[in-house]
Amino acid sequence: MWSKLALTGVCVWLGMMFGSATSAQAPVSSATPPLSAIDPKAVIDRYCLTCHSSRVRSGGLVLEGLDASQIPRDAETWEKVLVKLRTGAMPPAGVPRPDRATYDQVIRQLESTIDAAAGPVFDPGRTLLHRMNRAEYQNALRDLLALDIDVTPLLPPDDSSYGFDNIADILGVSPALQERYLSAADKISALAVGVAEVGTPLDTSYQVPADRTQRHHIEGLPLGTRGGTLITHTAPVDGEYLIKPRLWKTNNSIIRGLTQYDRLEVTVDGRRVHVATIGGTRPYVEGAEAINDEIHKRLEVRVHLDAGPRKIGVAFVHRTSAQAPDILQPFESALDPVDAGGLPQLDLITVSGPLDVSGAGESPSRQRIFTCRPVQVSQERGCATSILSRLARQAYRRPVKDDDVDALLEAFSLGRAGGDFEAGVRVALQRMLADPEFVFRVERDPARARAGSIHRISDLELASRLSFFLWSSIPDEELLTLASRRRLTDAGALEQQVKRMMVDPRSNAIVDNFAGQWLYLRNLRSQSPDRVEFPDFDDNLRQAFRRETEMLFETVMQEDRNVLELMTADYTFVNERLAKHYGIPNVYGSHFRRVTLTDERRKGLLGKGSMLLVTSRAERTSPVLRGKWILENLLGTAPPPPPADVPPFPENSGEQPATVRERLEQHRANAACASCHKLMDPVGLALENFDAVGRWRDREGEAPINASGQLYDGSQVDGPVALRKALLSRPENFVQTFTEKLMTYALGRGLTYRDMPAIRRIVRQSADQDYRFSSIVSGIVASSPFQMRSVPSEVSKGAAR
Amino acid sequence: MIITKKSLPRRTFLRGAGIALALPWLDAMVPAFALRAQAAPIRRFAGLYLPHGMIMANFTPQADGAGFELPLILKSLEPYRDQLVVVTGANGPRNLDNGGHAYAPSSWLTGATAKKTQGSDIHLAESLDQVLAREIGQETLLPSLELATEDFTSYVGACETGFSCSYMNTLSWSSPTTPLPMEINPRVVFERLFGAPGTSAQRLERLRRNQSVLDSVRAKATRLRIGLGAQDRSRMDDYLENLREIERRIQKAEAQAASTTEVPDAPPGVPGQRAEHVALLFDLLAIAWQADLTRVASFMMGRDVTYQSYPEIGITEGHHPLSHHGNNPEKMARFGAINTYETQFFAKFLDRLRSTPDGDGTLLDNSIVFFGSGMSGGNTHSTTGLPIVIAGGGSGRIKGGRHLRHPVSPSDGIPLGNVLLSIGQRMGVEMERHGQSTGTIDL
Repeated sequence: MWSKLALTGVCVWLGMMFGSATSAQAPVSSATPPLSAIDPKAVIDRYCLTCHSSRVRSGGLVLEGLDASQIPRDAETWEKVLVKLRTGAMPPAGVPRPDRATYDQVIRQLESTIDAAAGPVFDPGRTLLHRMNRAEYQNALRDLLALDIDVTPLLPPDDSSYGFDNIADILGVSPALQERYLSAADKISALAVGVAEVGTPLDTSYQVPADRTQRHHIEGLPLGTRGGTLITHTAPVDGEYLIKPRLWKTNNSIIRGLTQYDRLEVTVDGRRVHVATIGGTRPYVEGAEAINDEIHKRLEVRVHLDAGPRKIGVAFVHRTSAQAPDILQPFESALDPVDAGGLPQLDLITVSGPLDVSGAGESPSRQRIFTCRPVQVSQERGCATSILSRLARQAYRRPVKDDDVDALLEAFSLGRAGGDFEAGVRVALQRMLADPEFVFRVERDPARARAGSIHRISDLELASRLSFFLWSSIPDEELLTLASRRRLTDAGALEQQVKRMMVDPRSNAIVDNFAGQWLYLRNLRSQSPDRVEFPDFDDNLRQAFRRETEMLFETVMQEDRNVLELMTADYTFVNERLAKHYGIPNVYGSHFRRVTLTDERRKGLLGKGSMLLVTSRAERTSPVLRGKWILENLLGTAPPPPPADVPPFPENSGEQPATVRERLEQHRANAACASCHKLMDPVGLALENFDAVGRWRDREGEAPINASGQLYDGSQVDGPVALRKALLSRPENFVQTFTEKLMTYALGRGLTYRDMPAIRRIVRQSADQDYRFSSIVSGIVASSPFQMRSVPSEVSKGAAR
Repeated sequence: MIITKKSLPRRTFLRGAGIALALPWLDAMVPAFALRAQAAPIRRFAGLYLPHGMIMANFTPQADGAGFELPLILKSLEPYRDQLVVVTGANGPRNLDNGGHAYAPSSWLTGATAKKTQGSDIHLAESLDQVLAREIGQETLLPSLELATEDFTSYVGACETGFSCSYMNTLSWSSPTTPLPMEINPRVVFERLFGAPGTSAQRLERLRRNQSVLDSVRAKATRLRIGLGAQDRSRMDDYLENLREIERRIQKAEAQAASTTEVPDAPPGVPGQRAEHVALLFDLLAIAWQADLTRVASFMMGRDVTYQSYPEIGITEGHHPLSHHGNNPEKMARFGAINTYETQFFAKFLDRLRSTPDGDGTLLDNSIVFFGSGMSGGNTHSTTGLPIVIAGGGSGRIKGGRHLRHPVSPSDGIPLGNVLLSIGQRMGVEMERHGQSTGTIDL
């Protein structure tokens, strides 16, 4: 390890020497040989072998001795080379490199040679028995049973690989996991049918994040209120429920903000059901639990809820500003664990019930399930058969067979024996949700498929791949009908289905699950900037960051725009909170709206608070994280991880250099660190004017920000605008990275070098359509990895043991 | 969304900076669940894990053998020193492949080195808790309990490059290829132990219903596996095997439900404050031991690369950034303060074990609790000389009050596997090797 590192260092150092000798690495275009004369191998030999020889092996890559006439045979190695060449990262800055025309010609020839050898049909790869992940399970319940609930408490989270949590290989099974799927089936079937065990009311609690500022109006709550929260609670049956708001208390158990009068109102589906008055009547007493209990009692209200999803709002009636001492507080965030002054805040809402059941009600789920209602016992079996066959077809995503229905009817009989018709349907539903064919996506090889062969997957399998890709859910009836008639792969049918599915609101799953992971939006939840450094930061801003980037992605997707707009859009989405943060004037209120960006620096992903925050540390920016994130997620060239056992820096007598930049420069003085950090750091440093919460700044402490630097390809940048231009100097790189990420997500497996010809074909075809979002989605759907499957060559397939 | 039968009053929880908790509701129900006959002492094991190492200068006792003074980080363990063994000089896997944060948690209970991959060929080793679950866990409702504090879904990309996130998300592996999910929600832990709310009759009815659903599902899965490719078939075989284990649990739970009349109140879901969360999970574990619902547990008190901050002790930076303290004395002091604080949760757990009678002694007498971190220094991802404390009497098989020192050296130290192997043997399991063990330690 050490010797390899040392050599890498030498090679880097050698590069520096050459660089200074030639004084510049700018290509000389007059020396361009005729394009046809270029032998990529000769160019590689001349410019790359100093470091990538069999002796030096820089980065573990050896190019010496590769046969120029056998490029496809060594495709795995050449694809690694291509990653570096496409981004212009090699040879490293300072080392001689060919002129741009030659350079690009090498790329083109390598690519076209590999692609030509791959032929029209590529090795499609294969995924393991694919378990539904938590997000897919939740969407499937919504589409199957019209039951829109949060399944987070019911199922464990899924591990991820390759940046996504829908990777088939990794979605394994274990007793604890299966136990959870079984108990989820139990609970969900009860909720969907409307079975409530009287005498054991359930408490459901909804926590309000502690750092959510509650001084302003919250979207969705009545005008004239401030703070609070709006939740959707699914009532299992018609009946009485107790709504119990709890107020935020300090570490010393004092309810905050009781010095003044406040009114709290509770609404159900927009209708006011309760108003309670708190504060002002007497001074708060430290630790007086009895007073807290008495106050909380006053906030409670017992109401009738109809079965189904109910919107419950709890908020404070807005005081006049003269009444609000809090307004004098200089910072946005109101969180202080000890201070009992200021405004009261909502901490938690608990809905308890049903306390009293008045009927099963008519929830959307019940309407979806009970398409027939037997009047006589003799009709029950027929009705159950009809209900269960219909649901099983959707749940198993294929036409049902007799033994499917038999198994469900058996479960029905069991439930019916202990209760009524509906109790029977409930048990049958529980059985259906526990079925491995609901939980797994099963794909089968054709009966006589030979080992090592490839084949087209069935129409029904394709329907599932489509719906899990575009909706993170099960196929709908239209898709199933087409597939079961084997019309899905008819000319134009597939394209038409993709179009239809992309305009369906269910395609928003791509934003939640793909963009949420690709752009790290899910990580916003775990980001808590240092409260001393960033007293203004609160959950409202965190949510606004997420929403802004989601809406940008949604717009590109729904309006079918060029995906490069993710990087360049001159519009964004803000509410008052976010506009204030960005310094955009004249935006008032809690709802988001589209605004045109006049500030070049905020355009596209590089100027978005979400990205800037998730790549920062709690107390400061991290140009390394920002640089790494951009290289990895926007350019598809992940820098290698830091070497093992990095020696710690000698402590410089307690005196730290002032700025992040200076500290990084000190870091790069170490040759082992420099080889990679000089790739990442300048990228991140170009964004140094954005602080750790994405606010523009001109100084860090006393020192002016220096955002200049030389990128991996030798180009000079001096801030976000120049960086964006440099990153997009080969726009197809961004498009290719986007395509690779979306393909990984679509297939639920990691990509290999064998997939690259397919990826390049999609990007090339998309170029003719202005890189429209739909052209990439269609390209993926049309690709052989998406529509085909290979049979493993080493193991015989088929028959059971 | 958090579902509970009844919320706990908040006052039961955290008061100020202290972590004194009282959950009388749990104590009240133990008699109903403690069914076992008093026979030979029951041994229990828990493996507790913290990420990013410790400030070793404040962790390692100066003196060897008995009579050492507990350093700053371990001060809170003073009351239990007679039942402690501090182990110095055990090494985790060498960080050869740039996977520090994958190696540390994955080796903690396996003593093995994770294979660098993101695909279906993930490979590690069976973890000690799972060896024990197999050997001594079959008599209880749950062979083992896997606990954690962090929802890793908000850590996209926070896995070592080239390593599956599985290596970082769990400590427990039931086979070299099967990582087990860890549960963060106290409510779910509670339901796995005691069942969902309901009267005794309702609970029995539910278990019987679940049993018949399970029978039917098994029949289906058996049919489904026919004609699958080899790898798919192997996954389906695992699935079927797991159904048998769940069936065993249902039968255990039925016996339990039949003999109890009332379901206790469940705790709320994930508490808003971390201190509450950690303490509640420890309480649930103690109660599970007390009621003999499980004998084996693993607990990831923090996930590698966590950004967890500790405002309650005045630390507003994230755990991981602070662990890369660059030997800055001021940062090291703050990181050390976190180490000290986290160790207090462990001390609190030991207190609870010691104050709970079990057989002729206490729960602590009959347990082995393995505590520490899979790194020694988070700053450099060093795995040389890991911080390790072994607490509990192991039913008389472990002599406490000792500092067991081996050289702190990559070459002359001992593999972590040796420590785990010795624990396994003291737990009464005939083991010859564990992970990359080369021998045993003088436990």
